[in-house]
Amino acid sequence: MKYRILLILFLYIIKLNAQSDLLDELESETLQEEKDKFYYPAFKAMKIGNLQSTKIASKRDFYLYVSHRFGSLEDGFETFFGFDNANTKIELVYGFLENFQIGISRESVRKTYAGSLKFRLLKQNEKFPFNIVYYSTININSELKKERYPLLDFKDRLSFANQILISNRLNNYISLELAPTIIRQNLVYEPFQKHDQFALGAGGRIRLSKRMSFNIDYVYNFSRHEKSIYKNPLTIGIDIETGGHIFQLLFTNAQSTNEPGFISNAEGNWEDGDIFFGFNIVRVF
Amino acid sequence: MSMFFLILKSYSQNKYLTKNGITEFKASVETFEPVEAVNNNTTVLFKSNTNEIAILLFLKSFHFEIALMEEHFNENYMDSDKFPKAKFSGKIINKKDKYFIKGNLNIKGISKEVITEIEFIKGNTIKIKGFFEVKPSDFNIKIPSIVRKKISEKIKINFNYELQSKT
Repeated sequence: MKYRILLILFLYIIKLNAQSDLLDELESETLQEEKDKFYYPAFKAMKIGNLQSTKIASKRDFYLYVSHRFGSLEDGFETFFGFDNANTKIELVYGFLENFQIGISRESVRKTYAGSLKFRLLKQNEKFPFNIVYYSTININSELKKERYPLLDFKDRLSFANQILISNRLNNYISLELAPTIIRQNLVYEPFQKHDQFALGAGGRIRLSKRMSFNIDYVYNFSRHEKSIYKNPLTIGIDIETGGHIFQLLFTNAQSTNEPGFISNAEGNWEDGDIFFGFNIVRVF
Repeated sequence: MSMFFLILKSYSQNKYLTKNGITEFKASVETFEPVEAVNNNTTVLFKSNTNEIAILLFLKSFHFEIALMEEHFNENYMDSDKFPKAKFSGKIINKKDKYFIKGNLNIKGISKEVITEIEFIKGNTIKIKGFFEVKPSDFNIKIPSIVRKKISEKIKINFNYELQSKT
């Protein structure tokens, strides 16, 4: 008797279930999948402005980065606000593995060749609030002439930057980043300057719309000598994304777009209006 | 007790399910780079005694050739964080030799009626195959003017499902 009641009850429950919507039943089949949400990146491009962001090219995605930094706006009509003294950089970036990209580039400032690698250690998700990425670059100054510096070794041409990039997409509008940095310059441009330099970068973005954002980044160099003529780089710009392209228009006080260049040797000065207009154009293939 | 299992068995036998249905969309325009993606994890449930059918897929499971496109699809067009799923519920209708699927498609919280002819083959498994077209504007999906030329006005959705008897 007991069993029979239980059986009837059981069948009744099944019957109740059967009456519910077919779609509801499907929803219960896919509960597990729902837990893994799609996590949006903190930044659209691989750079916030000058500072590297935590964005990495996805596997097999191929990017072309073209950057210009014009001369000082201060020069006025003499150079058409810096138009005549542009620094041009072309960089190719390739997503070698899922969380690993490599890049090669050449920029006009100090005729610099550079190689870089970037890999993601951790990605922001429900349980962990940060993207953590490691970035490393080696720069080769090919401008120095052996005739002028007879004692020059190849290693004197080299400079390095190593960064840990930590970012957080706070919400759909605001993303923030910190970037502890070590710079090594085998050749310093001021005799009193240290070869090994510690710096901390900070940056962020505010999304103005789905395809536009306001970006800012700054790097404080703790090892800068007090007599140095160089300043800490501040970059302010906007991102405009148009599908396959991202246009980054910006103002900065550094003419180099490479990390050792802008973190150690930013030649401009915001206070004097000695700043440069520039842009990065990013194209994905 | 064996009687009970028999009841349960006959009861569940009229349901068919797949979790690996293929749904594909094509929004490409000739001469521009292809804008298309495949979802291999569509879940479909069909009830053979009432001909009811329900389809559910996760937008994040649409995979593109270019990963950046996938990111833009989720972030800029589909708002996948707010609307992670696309759903369909309706019926399969048999008229003479022809089969049709009719019901409501729900994307981004907006429902729209869809009816289209399908291939319907019932054996040990049930095969459902067909296509239909939708307009992005029907589901409040905004295409900015700068990419409008690269995305076709009508988006073709192909589906190919093979359902197993659910036990």
